[in-house]
Amino acid sequence: MNISQKIIFEPLQKILENIMAFLPNLLTSLFLLIAGILIALVVKIIFTKFLKAAGLDGFTARFGFPDLLKKGGIRDPLSVLLSKFIGGIIVLVFAILSMRALEVLAVEKLLEKFLLYLPNILVALLIILSGYLLGNFLGRAALIAAVNAGMRLSRLVGAFVKYTIVILSATMALEHVGIGKETVEIAFAIVFGGVVFAFALAFGLGGRDMAKEYLAKKIRGEKDQEQDGIGHL
Amino acid sequence: MLSEYTLKKIKDVKETDILVGIPSFNNVNTIGHVVRALQAGLIKYFPDSKSVIVNSDGGSTDGTVEAVQHASIEDFDAILVKHRTEQVLKITTPYHGIPGKGSAFRTIFEIAHSLNAKACIVVDSDLRSITPEWVELLIKPVLSRDFDFVAPLYHRHKYDGTITNSIIYPITRALYGRQVRQPIGGDFGFSGELATYYLSKDVWDTDVAKYGIDIWMTTTAIANDFRICQSFLGAKIHDAKDPGADLSAMLYQVVGAAFDLMEQYPDKWRAVEVSEPVTTYGFKYAVGLEPVAVNVDRMIGRFQLGAKELINIWQEFLSRDIIHYLRRTTSITASKFFFPDEVWVEIIYSFALAAHKKLINREHLLRSLTPLYIGRTAAFVKETGDSDALQVEEKIEGLCRMFEQKKPFLRENW
Repeated sequence: MNISQKIIFEPLQKILENIMAFLPNLLTSLFLLIAGILIALVVKIIFTKFLKAAGLDGFTARFGFPDLLKKGGIRDPLSVLLSKFIGGIIVLVFAILSMRALEVLAVEKLLEKFLLYLPNILVALLIILSGYLLGNFLGRAALIAAVNAGMRLSRLVGAFVKYTIVILSATMALEHVGIGKETVEIAFAIVFGGVVFAFALAFGLGGRDMAKEYLAKKIRGEKDQEQDGIGHL
Repeated sequence: MLSEYTLKKIKDVKETDILVGIPSFNNVNTIGHVVRALQAGLIKYFPDSKSVIVNSDGGSTDGTVEAVQHASIEDFDAILVKHRTEQVLKITTPYHGIPGKGSAFRTIFEIAHSLNAKACIVVDSDLRSITPEWVELLIKPVLSRDFDFVAPLYHRHKYDGTITNSIIYPITRALYGRQVRQPIGGDFGFSGELATYYLSKDVWDTDVAKYGIDIWMTTTAIANDFRICQSFLGAKIHDAKDPGADLSAMLYQVVGAAFDLMEQYPDKWRAVEVSEPVTTYGFKYAVGLEPVAVNVDRMIGRFQLGAKELINIWQEFLSRDIIHYLRRTTSITASKFFFPDEVWVEIIYSFALAAHKKLINREHLLRSLTPLYIGRTAAFVKETGDSDALQVEEKIEGLCRMFEQKKPFLRENW
């Protein structure tokens, strides 16, 4: 056996043997991935048709969902969006299976960590989405109520309600995934407390006379001079 | 649902010919007068009929219930030359369910049904202009002419009943084809049969339990082909409605109930092409009415605030032309402010369509109507500042015709 055979051919042969041994796993992995993509496509089509027929888009339109999505740059209706999500989950599951089929130790360890963390990410996303929707809904309700009460700062009231809920949900989501747990809590307390304090100061200083007049009227039971005498009903 | 005390009273009374219902909540200033007027009316016009007055109270804390119990006419000789000696029976009972006028009426219907009443009337407890004649005018058409429902007809100040004048009367007339001038007047006469029919409906967890009750009673009677008429009662002067209730809530309940009824009777209103007058009883006469103070500039300011802040919401269901018009009005001065009938009618129909198609959350939709209604009312006040009652009525008639004219828009887009 000469030296070149020892240095070049033997390792090459070993690599070839390893590749030959690894090939069935690779093929299985590729097969699983392709199968996953195809299944996801079929399931997506079925779900889109089913959700459309069930009237999901009409139902969610009641709560202003399409507008929220449009504001976020998403043009698809919710039925398509959900179907895509389900399809994505299927692809993800098959991708994980395909990677496990490779039987590579490092990949398996990475996968294990990712899988343990995945539910937290999903829950955090759900919290953010719910917060965003609730913030929009209650922000709009607050805006309408403030306009009907004749408040000049009604837009500010609506925005305050909306962003308080959005920030609160974002804080909860970050806390859930364990990012800067204490820092986020403290930052939220400072920001939220600061905003409330700023509002209190603004109302207290700017509307001191109004508040005094209002309380005097309430305590003395006086009638609002500006109140119209119109009988609406 | 009825309390033990009430059930015992019903057992004692057994049955009645006439039942008079008064819903109340903190009306100590006016309810005594209302009860006395009703007692006098029952004794004067129906001396041979057994009558019961039912006060359905929402937990008053100002002595309303005591005022009802103590209200009686001490010297009938001063009022009537000839009269029967026995007093009218009274039942005072709390009502159950959602706090509101509709829940109070439900209790009244239950008692009417239990006592097998032949004819019933309900009157508001805040009335200051009620007279004994109202009893005759609301009951006689039921007992003597076989009508099932008697709506009131009054002389009201031109700025009283603005929801009625600008929305409820015109839309009810255009939809169901009957010209009932005061569909949410609050003072109605109806047969025992109709009271039982009302009771059979499962609506007591909706806006009908609140201020929606009046439009629901009127529309239910019309849409189910009960025989309806109206009686001229004279002037309607009353205290302000529940001072705690805000305009937005009242509008939400009344307009919401009207829109719900459109969902319930689509075949009925879609088939109606023209409106027709209803039989009217009573001797019409002119009356003096108390002046009403209105701050038009403030109302226009409230409208403009709404038009500026809520335009993004309205954009979702109002046409481009209407949005363009509303945008222009945000910068207009009070002296140039106006709100054409055509625009108003299209707005109301578009709100009805948006509610039907569930384009946005129902509460957001209906509550966002308030600034528009205030704007429309301000324009009405401006236009009719120097008008007399007849001219105002002509103006309302014009609005009604516009509602009828534009009905195809509603029908085609439903």
